[in-house]
Amino acid sequence: MLAAIGDWVAATPFADWAVSNPYAYPVANTVHVLALVLLLGGIGLVDLRVMGIFRTLPLQPLSRALVPIAATGVLILAASGSILLAADAEALARQDTFRLKLILIAIALANVALFRLRYGAVVADPPPGGARLLALASLLLWTSVAICGRMIAYS
Amino acid sequence: MLKKVLVAAAILTIPAAAAAHHGWTSYDDKKVIKVRTSLSDVKWGNPHGSANVRYKNAIWHVVLAPVARMEARGLTKEMVGPKKQVVLEGYPRRDGTREMRIERVTAGGKTIELR
Repeated sequence: MLAAIGDWVAATPFADWAVSNPYAYPVANTVHVLALVLLLGGIGLVDLRVMGIFRTLPLQPLSRALVPIAATGVLILAASGSILLAADAEALARQDTFRLKLILIAIALANVALFRLRYGAVVADPPPGGARLLALASLLLWTSVAICGRMIAYS
Repeated sequence: MLKKVLVAAAILTIPAAAAAHHGWTSYDDKKVIKVRTSLSDVKWGNPHGSANVRYKNAIWHVVLAPVARMEARGLTKEMVGPKKQVVLEGYPRRDGTREMRIERVTAGGKTIELR
């Protein structure tokens, strides 16, 4: 099914533009990396703090500052990623690394939803054991998503 | 702790890395292919240009470079157009697929490095 979606995407004028404009792809690529810095830098620090590292930093102001940065990163990643995807949709839709990346993104987003449902937008300090576990999962998942993203070019 | 996290993350993607073929490492630079020919089905697009070429009685897929890089170095789509003679120098895929990654192209009297 993903293959069929990939073929459909590749036939759109948007994909045409992503392929043929000499700068669309490299610029989208650059923006994608910068947005990844927002995401991992933002949520990674919050995850580590929830897990129990950097305990001298106050958790609530830290999450209020960094979670929106991470969320902004996710939005920019989705936008720039759609250009990168469109330029190579037929091949990517059939590639295991890309499929794994999509699955990991889905799990990572589900993890965000679960965390917020259980512990609210800003978790109590010190965070309960479950919250620390989900923070570890978050760090592992987003890091793996990033590694998959980089490995797509070599798969 | 952080180290464990990074190690675990790296382990998660080992199957992906093992299947790699698009980096230069997937091509065997000990087996240099040098062929004077003309390209067909040229795709002048990103993430990298591509084409087909006849080599040793078979159709080979040719992997070029990103468009902005090729144009910055003076290689244009017209220079590799239909019936234009070019010299390709590149390497075959290690896994035996009929695909070559091009190190340099000589076209229109110029030699352009693609790496």
